[in-house]
Amino acid sequence: MANKFALLALCSALFAVGPAMAKPGTAEKGKVIYDMRCTWCHGDEGDGKGAAKDHLNPPPRDFTSGNYKIRTSDFEDLTPNDDDIFRMIRDGMPGTAMPGWSDILTEQDMWDLVAYVKKFASYEKPPAKQVDFGTQISSSAESIEKGKKLFEEGDRCVECHGKSGKGSASKRLKGEAGERTWPRNLTKPWTYRGSAEPKDIFSRISTGIAGTEMPSFADPKSKKKLSIEERWHVANYVASLAQTGQKVSADNTVVKVSKVEGELPSATDDARWEKSEATTFYMVPQIIGKERYFLPSSDTITVRAMYNDKAVAMLLEWDDRTKSTPGDDSAGKLADTPIEQDGVAVQLPVTIPSEMQKPYFGMGDAAHPVNVWHWKSGGKDAPETVGILNSKGFKDIEKREAASAGLTAKSSYSDGTWKVLMVRPLTTASTDKDMQFVEGKFIPVAFAAWDGSNNSEKGSKHTMTTWYWLLLKPATGSKPLVTALVIAALFAGGLLWWARSAGNKAA
Amino acid sequence: MSATPKRVIPRLLQMVLVIAGAYFSFILLFDVLLGQLIPKSLLTMYMVFVVAGVVMVFTFTEEGAQELAGPIKALVEDPSRKMVRNVVFVIVPLLAGYYTYSSMLPSFEAPVELRTIHPAPPNKFKAYGKSYNLATLENPYRKFEKEDPAKFKALVKEGGDVYIKNCQYCHGDKLDGKGPYASGLNPTPLNFQDVGTIAQLQESFLFWRIATGGPGLPAEAAPWISSMPVWQEFLTEDEIWKVILFLYNYTGRQPRSWSHE
Ligand code: HEC
Ligand code: HEC
Ligand code: HEC
Repeated sequence: MANKFALLALCSALFAVGPAMAKPGTAEKGKVIYDMRCTWCHGDEGDGKGAAKDHLNPPPRDFTSGNYKIRTSDFEDLTPNDDDIFRMIRDGMPGTAMPGWSDILTEQDMWDLVAYVKKFASYEKPPAKQVDFGTQISSSAESIEKGKKLFEEGDRCVECHGKSGKGSASKRLKGEAGERTWPRNLTKPWTYRGSAEPKDIFSRISTGIAGTEMPSFADPKSKKKLSIEERWHVANYVASLAQTGQKVSADNTVVKVSKVEGELPSATDDARWEKSEATTFYMVPQIIGKERYFLPSSDTITVRAMYNDKAVAMLLEWDDRTKSTPGDDSAGKLADTPIEQDGVAVQLPVTIPSEMQKPYFGMGDAAHPVNVWHWKSGGKDAPETVGILNSKGFKDIEKREAASAGLTAKSSYSDGTWKVLMVRPLTTASTDKDMQFVEGKFIPVAFAAWDGSNNSEKGSKHTMTTWYWLLLKPATGSKPLVTALVIAALFAGGLLWWARSAGNKAA
Repeated sequence: MSATPKRVIPRLLQMVLVIAGAYFSFILLFDVLLGQLIPKSLLTMYMVFVVAGVVMVFTFTEEGAQELAGPIKALVEDPSRKMVRNVVFVIVPLLAGYYTYSSMLPSFEAPVELRTIHPAPPNKFKAYGKSYNLATLENPYRKFEKEDPAKFKALVKEGGDVYIKNCQYCHGDKLDGKGPYASGLNPTPLNFQDVGTIAQLQESFLFWRIATGGPGLPAEAAPWISSMPVWQEFLTEDEIWKVILFLYNYTGRQPRSWSHE
């Protein structure tokens, strides 16, 4: 019996997600843990001035400011609930350097930390009022439709988050320490600090996000105020914006290029792209070689590709909140100075490796050069361009005309998304300089992107992937089917013959 | 057939169960415990061995072999099983056909890349324009752990600052290999909390790895895919020795030393 209870307790502990029950913590004990684990970012004095501060965006929280992004107390009362703080320490804040700590700290440790962290802002009493959730309206087509209207009405949310929810900016936003903040990309729910459950979204809309420009929509003084019922509709709409197709799947490391009969797509919005298989990769800032770069604004790139008997067409798609057009005034207002062009690049080995050894993933090496197809968005009076780099490491780069390999590129930008289409013939005249595409072989491929409005990304300041694979899928033809039929027939014949001879024997 | 004793589970079923058990344990071991999908080719190879082994054990004695084949023979010969036989005779060719078809379709699974995680270090290596001898190289600060604990603590703290500014993006601020950018890198950054990494290594090995990074690895460790930076370009020798102190201190592990061997 006792066993059963223990098991029950264990099970409920395992499944006890959501609000934890507040337990009293001891600030003195919390300090000891804090000084070992948290001070590196949040600083000895809790002021966010740890050693890492200049290399992180968002910066580590300054606890003395009293701002907590994720809370469920009423919008007028900045005091968070202990549960709110506990939850962020336990689960961490996705999309930031703040990790969840439940794997190395005990529950009591985390309550002790809550007690200590609160002291920096002298929060002694619990908040007087909580977010009023009313009765939750569950999601439905009708509710989502209503939410969409409210989201767009008077540019309520569109002002910052854009029509698509990707946060295509119409103004520059600042955080509490003057740092640049970006509105959340609402199509990527895995980057939410406090989960994309409607109930969480409801809380964020109600309280606003302290320390950022995201306001409260429960505040009766706000012109854009929403009633409880309206907030549920908006929350349901926001939850429905999730584009899970853009989520990275760690198993999927191959860009599969399918063969088409006839012409390749010549536009980024060709309907055939919708049907072709997309592969999404994480991009990380270039923190490996000189000059290192720490404050990126993009996190993934999605690739689709097709080929015919003449050429390969590759569609690169990534979210970028700002179209960076040097020379354009309105683009300049949103950008950090100086504004640079946006860009994207595809890296391929000049020679497809026949064994395991590849070129060094960071622009190749002396013995193993790479081709880099580099597209740039152009400026107000300058057209977009594409060029080829033949690189043997970042110190030994030869620039070439795209035309020399027949490479062309074409782009479109809309509401927070860049799409760039690159087309190159399967084979070129200079076999020693250009990779020659071969059907059915795994070809290493890597990608990079530049957001010219974010910290003037240019040159080695960019986001990138490590090596993945590109595969031109051979057309299969009828061979597998014919062979399979023959094998099945052989098996059936064999079994019949066996049964018959066994039958004869028995008779 | 009546000569063999009746068992609770027929021998044929036993064999099938053992093989299925092995199959799922491989999947469990790789996918769940080791956290990486088992490559199909590897699984096929393992299963060939398992099946061969199991068949050998089960047919070791003649009796065993007969008992195993019993149900199959009965199926073909026993007229009362006609119904089952017809079903089996349809299913088996279909399965064989399907398997052939799917294995002839070209595979889009990425090639498996095997690399040695901890290759044998060179005896000597060059960094900071000097040559180092790994056999005699020691952390100049290690002695303060006993001689001057206060100074040691300050050195560890300086190492921590180096770590949080330079390494946590990949190796994680919990030193668990799960930094904010870890999932965008292949191979993934190593987990220093794991008993299989720094606890097995000497400080001189770490110094070599940190100073020369991915490109400093020998060919069997696939230097061309490692995103580990070449830290002699960014840090001083002193900073590397201090960050090493921090790695051991934070994880509560001890470096391996010559005297213990
Ligand atoms: C690697 C750096 C790093 C470390 C180490 C770290 N944090 Fe954080 N933490 C952050 C960042 C960055 C943020 C801000 C995220 C944001 O604003 O979106 C943050 C935010 C927070 C918040 C604010 C939650 C909210 O609702 O706004 C709390 C509480 C917190 N951290 C507690 C801790 C505790 C306790 C520890 C130690 C166990 C710790 N952090 C260690 C980087 C770190
Ligand atoms: C003035 C600009 C602004 C407006 C208007 C605005 N937001 Fe935001 N929103 C932001 C910013 C900035 C952030 C990111 C804050 C941060 O840095 O963590 C954000 C974050 C969010 C998040 C992410 C919460 C999380 O857990 O990460 C949601 C959801 C959201 N907003 C929904 C809305 C909705 C719905 C509306 C309209 C009712 C709206 N926002 C209006 C600026 C705005
Ligand atoms: C850009 C990501 C990245 C950064 C930043 C980084 N590392 Fe690494 N590190 C890796 C990867 C990936 C590996 C595993 C591949 C390899 O062995 O080269 C690794 C391996 C190591 C190893 C080898 C461990 C072993 O068990 O053999 C050590 C030691 C190490 N890193 C220390 C550091 C230190 C110290 C820093 C900061 C000064 C640092 N790393 C910064 C990515 C990184």
